[in-house]
Amino acid sequence: MKRKWIEVVNLSILAVILLLTVFLFWQVRDSRVMQIIVGLLLSLLYVTWGLIHHAMLGDLYPKVVVEYLLVGAIAMTLIFTVVWVN
Amino acid sequence: MMLFYVLLLALFNFGFRYVHAQYPSVLGYATDIRVRELLDLTNKKRSAIGLSQLKLDEKLSLAAAKKAQDMFSHDYWSHTSPQGKSPWEFIIASGYEYTMAGENLAKNFSNSDGVVEAWMASPTHKDNIVKPGYRDIGFAIVNGVLNGEETTLVVQMFGATNKKDSIALNPEPLTVGLQTETLGDQVPINVFEAASPEASYSPMSTLSSVIQAPKINIPTVTRDIVFIFLGFLIAILTIDAFVVSKRNIIRVAGHNGAHIMFLFALCFALFLVKRGVLL
Repeated sequence: MKRKWIEVVNLSILAVILLLTVFLFWQVRDSRVMQIIVGLLLSLLYVTWGLIHHAMLGDLYPKVVVEYLLVGAIAMTLIFTVVWVN
Repeated sequence: MMLFYVLLLALFNFGFRYVHAQYPSVLGYATDIRVRELLDLTNKKRSAIGLSQLKLDEKLSLAAAKKAQDMFSHDYWSHTSPQGKSPWEFIIASGYEYTMAGENLAKNFSNSDGVVEAWMASPTHKDNIVKPGYRDIGFAIVNGVLNGEETTLVVQMFGATNKKDSIALNPEPLTVGLQTETLGDQVPINVFEAASPEASYSPMSTLSSVIQAPKINIPTVTRDIVFIFLGFLIAILTIDAFVVSKRNIIRVAGHNGAHIMFLFALCFALFLVKRGVLL
């Protein structure tokens, strides 16, 4: 039951973080550099969220850490591709 | 597997840059912006609300061309140059004696319609386009490298004048409005300088259009590949989450639901990225 609550609360927090960061991304739409910075922030916040979430659930293993780091890296590469190369 | 995706995407980035640098006619930025179209579209917007049509003025076009050249040679993206040169100085130097003037800038749009629609969507730029007092207009469309980035610059200058063919040596101080987001509405600028007529070169032939038609358009291909990749990733994670839940598999892994939320947010953010920028 406690685990369920942690899931619900943490996913709600993640939703708020994602909404705010996407809004910020839209706000800086006229500056490529700022979009890259906000994109980096989005990725870092997600990785941090993932690590805290799994630490709270007690299943933060190295494999999980690597998984979140790679998802963050994929996101950064995609942001760089669209914002910079585009 | 994820590391493979990261490396693949990085390779894709470098590959794109390399091919673009080596073969710009194959892989490049498709652009088709013409002065005639910009003029027609601007006048259509004015006509739609009952305003008079603007006349293409050679002196204002010269001022726009000089401004574009100055932006490329001093590498800035602003209404005022790092040396403090305002748009009005270019207008005066072109020999156009204005009673009111304005400037709109745009960069990296792919077609004329996109430029005018973006200006109309921005209240401050729209104010310039639909200002009743303007009579003349000038354009310059120039390709170059700005801040290290391949750029197609569009300069639009508006003006109204009392004396068409004379240059005042001691003009009265004028108050003009530069309506931009950066400088704010109606920034008063006092102009005391006499115009110096250096209008000996016509920009009309060389700066009336920028047309590039590479075989592969970078923005289209990049977006297609990125969104297909994101869709593929989301699909894999959804199937994985479904299978794990159905078979009650216990494993050490990240939260698929969170990954999917994050990737959707990323899709949405990337969807908001546009190439064209106004000032």
